[in-house]
Amino acid sequence: MTAYLARRVLGAIVVMFVVATLVFFMLRILPGDPIAAMLFDVEDPDAVEFLRTKYGLDQPIYVQYVKWFGHLLTGDLGQSIYGSRQDVTRTILEAFPRTMSLAGLSFLIAMIIAVPAGLISAVRKNSTLDHVVTVVAFLGLSMPDFWFAIILIIAFAANLQWLPAIGYVPIAEGLWPWFSHLILPSIAIGTPFAAIIARMIRSSMLEVLQMDYIRVARSKGLLNTRLILVHAFPNALIPVVTVMGIAIALLMAGTVIVENVFAIKGLGRVLIQGILNRDFPVVQGAILVVSAIFVFANLLVDVLYTVIDPRIRFD
Amino acid sequence: MKKKFEDLTDLERKTVKDDLEHAYDFDPRDPLFGLTRDKLSGPRISRRSVMRLMAASGVLTAWHVLPGTTSKALAQNRGGILEAGWAGVGEITTLDPAQINQVLQFQITSSVLSGLTHLNADLVAEADIAETWTVNDAGTEIIFKLREGVTFHNGDKFTADDVIFTFNRSKDPDQSINGGLLKNVASLEKLNDLEIKFTLSAPQASFFVKTTERASGRALTIVSRGGLEALGTQQYGLTPIGTGPFRVTEHTLGQRVKLRRFDDYYDPERPVLDGVNITPISEPEPLAAAMEAGDIQLIGGNPVAPELVDRFEANSDIVVDIIGGNGFQAVFLNPWRDPFKVPSFDKPLAELMKEKGFMVRLAIAKAIDRDRFIERAQFGRGVPAYGSINPAMGFYFDESLAETSNQRFDVTAARKLLADAGFPNGEGFPTLTLKGGPPVRRDMQIIADILKRNLNIEIKIEIKEFQILVPEFQKVDYDMLRIGSGGDFDPDDGIVDFLQTSSRLNGANRDKAKMPFGHFGEADVDRLGDEQSRTADLKKRRVLVQKVNKITSDKVAAAFIYHPVDVLVHRKEVDFPARSRVVGLVDLDRVSFV
Repeated sequence: MTAYLARRVLGAIVVMFVVATLVFFMLRILPGDPIAAMLFDVEDPDAVEFLRTKYGLDQPIYVQYVKWFGHLLTGDLGQSIYGSRQDVTRTILEAFPRTMSLAGLSFLIAMIIAVPAGLISAVRKNSTLDHVVTVVAFLGLSMPDFWFAIILIIAFAANLQWLPAIGYVPIAEGLWPWFSHLILPSIAIGTPFAAIIARMIRSSMLEVLQMDYIRVARSKGLLNTRLILVHAFPNALIPVVTVMGIAIALLMAGTVIVENVFAIKGLGRVLIQGILNRDFPVVQGAILVVSAIFVFANLLVDVLYTVIDPRIRFD
Repeated sequence: MKKKFEDLTDLERKTVKDDLEHAYDFDPRDPLFGLTRDKLSGPRISRRSVMRLMAASGVLTAWHVLPGTTSKALAQNRGGILEAGWAGVGEITTLDPAQINQVLQFQITSSVLSGLTHLNADLVAEADIAETWTVNDAGTEIIFKLREGVTFHNGDKFTADDVIFTFNRSKDPDQSINGGLLKNVASLEKLNDLEIKFTLSAPQASFFVKTTERASGRALTIVSRGGLEALGTQQYGLTPIGTGPFRVTEHTLGQRVKLRRFDDYYDPERPVLDGVNITPISEPEPLAAAMEAGDIQLIGGNPVAPELVDRFEANSDIVVDIIGGNGFQAVFLNPWRDPFKVPSFDKPLAELMKEKGFMVRLAIAKAIDRDRFIERAQFGRGVPAYGSINPAMGFYFDESLAETSNQRFDVTAARKLLADAGFPNGEGFPTLTLKGGPPVRRDMQIIADILKRNLNIEIKIEIKEFQILVPEFQKVDYDMLRIGSGGDFDPDDGIVDFLQTSSRLNGANRDKAKMPFGHFGEADVDRLGDEQSRTADLKKRRVLVQKVNKITSDKVAAAFIYHPVDVLVHRKEVDFPARSRVVGLVDLDRVSFV
């Protein structure tokens, strides 16, 4: 297992390296000049040249790459080239807890919806309840998250005035202020996620419920609740967990859009702001962190297999 | 406080007229006076419904429909924390004047940092931390007497050394992007702790409005040496230390800027509030929801999306204050490309009118129905533009240009010009590309629609991000380009910055061997532009400014489309006094709760 983990971590680092390299070159191929746009209002060719030299943007791309990579190896993600030129590491460290709070709560909400919906749908296959759950799940999948986010804002913030429309409050300022600011964005992100997981649980459960050991258990008179929750559900989880690993990408993509709508400066908003400003160091740093989250979340999923099903061994 | 009718802008007069017409537009036999039960149901009744009821009962007077803030009559309370949303922006990237490149940033620093001068509501420079100043006869030497007893937020005393420090910092390209704004300052000299002398290379009429001004000035917005040394430039960019009415106590990038009252501000009456929390909100719908729910009480930052203004006006808890904006929006036509190629504008107008390229330029400018455009693209808010000088500049604005400009709307004449240029009814006219940024997508579609309708020509829309659009504008790499200027407080902002051959926004990065000028170049404009810039006598300057404006309009330096309005939105519990209503800015020092 240790050897397996070491191999996977090494593989994850290679993936991150490839992603970071691709992003580095793609950003520089994109049209648009960050310095010229920054100095639009005070257009001064000398100042443009000065800043281009200062940030090394006048050097050949491969030189820029080698320098950037050298700094990366020492853990230095560089400085933003825009505004007050914050350290990228600081920007990401500030944004990270917000995105994690949002992603964590979205995941929780998704599970609270998906598990009962998937189980009910499987156990009551082809019933009215199953059809309702299916329709709702497809609705959840079909709604664009930014649109759903705006609908939630109009309903619960503008009209009912139950929850704040925008912003983020750190948990240090109180549990309720933190939670109340995250409910609407988490529902906006969690709903499509819940729809995918609910559909996955349903199909996986239907397969497990057909198995011999379930029929034996049922013939021995085991309570239906115990049969489903203790014997069937854990075995149905393996494909669900696999899909969850992939769906984390969906969750991260959701945060990019939803953070922007709810004015939460998480990693997604850092990325969007960085791309709009052509702020190369910020985009490179943020993509690196997002890819690390994705790669290691999938590694965690693989490890979870051994917990869910002790028969699985990676050695 | 109500304005007199004769003091109203065209837009305000139109609003008054519309309000009156709407108020009396009912059948007297109708028991509901043309209103539906919904409109008469609470908890809110719209302003227009109230006026209808007043008209029906015979108590509606001119006073009721005149614009102005009734909150003046209400008691002003000291203290309280104002929640503000900054529109259309994800984060306030910097508050360091040396790095500021957006209006929405200096809207905030105007409440935190000071300048030698500051604009008042009439766009006239008043003393800020300079008490008085004198100018020599040649207009090249200006001595400022500084205010005594001014301190920075960190307790440091403000002296002439701080002005010198700020000046030197701004001139250093390693520390500031705004050094170019000081090019006309030959030297700055300390006479004593409270007196400084500027020597200018040439007289500059806009010096007090553009250079020493605390908000848009930037290059001479006073920074604290002690603050910079203690905080470092990165942190100073987030929480700058100045001598302004508020100090920044917290700035979480992309989340919130907290301003709190500076107790030692030189005017003990200001600020009135205890503090202001500013949240950047990039999307219009969450901004509207936050305003309606009361999560925010005032909107600053980028202009409020036009589609939200009606919605806010219909809400009785929200005050929408509209005044003439300080900018112009235009379509630039590349004079180096067919079909509107004009290699030289240095000819009498009558001669230019015979050139095919010029005919096409003029045909396009004349075919744009500004009123229709404003109605459809700007939801009826805006003033038709025929030049770069905007109505907020009042004194310099030439209302008669709408009647006298060569660009005035005339479809028949536009079609004839196009036909004379070889494109009768648009036949054989090439498909042109109109470039612009994402926020003006709607504008461009409507311009393309108007030109199709009036000239039968096809315009292809191309949306480009600002970072791509700006370099292309500066290389003169476009057929037609939809761009404009905001935050124009002085005629120099339009004329000197955009329309002279050497203007910094006139194709600065073009191939100068092939293109002697960018989008426009004309000897009289260069000469008169320089002259107006040096003329301190306001009346003489106005004559020069209006002459330049007329030439650039007649010779189609660009197809000028409209001057935007300046919309300030706040909740009714907020008193935003008329004295603080400086177009384009959001000065918070006199704002209070009622």
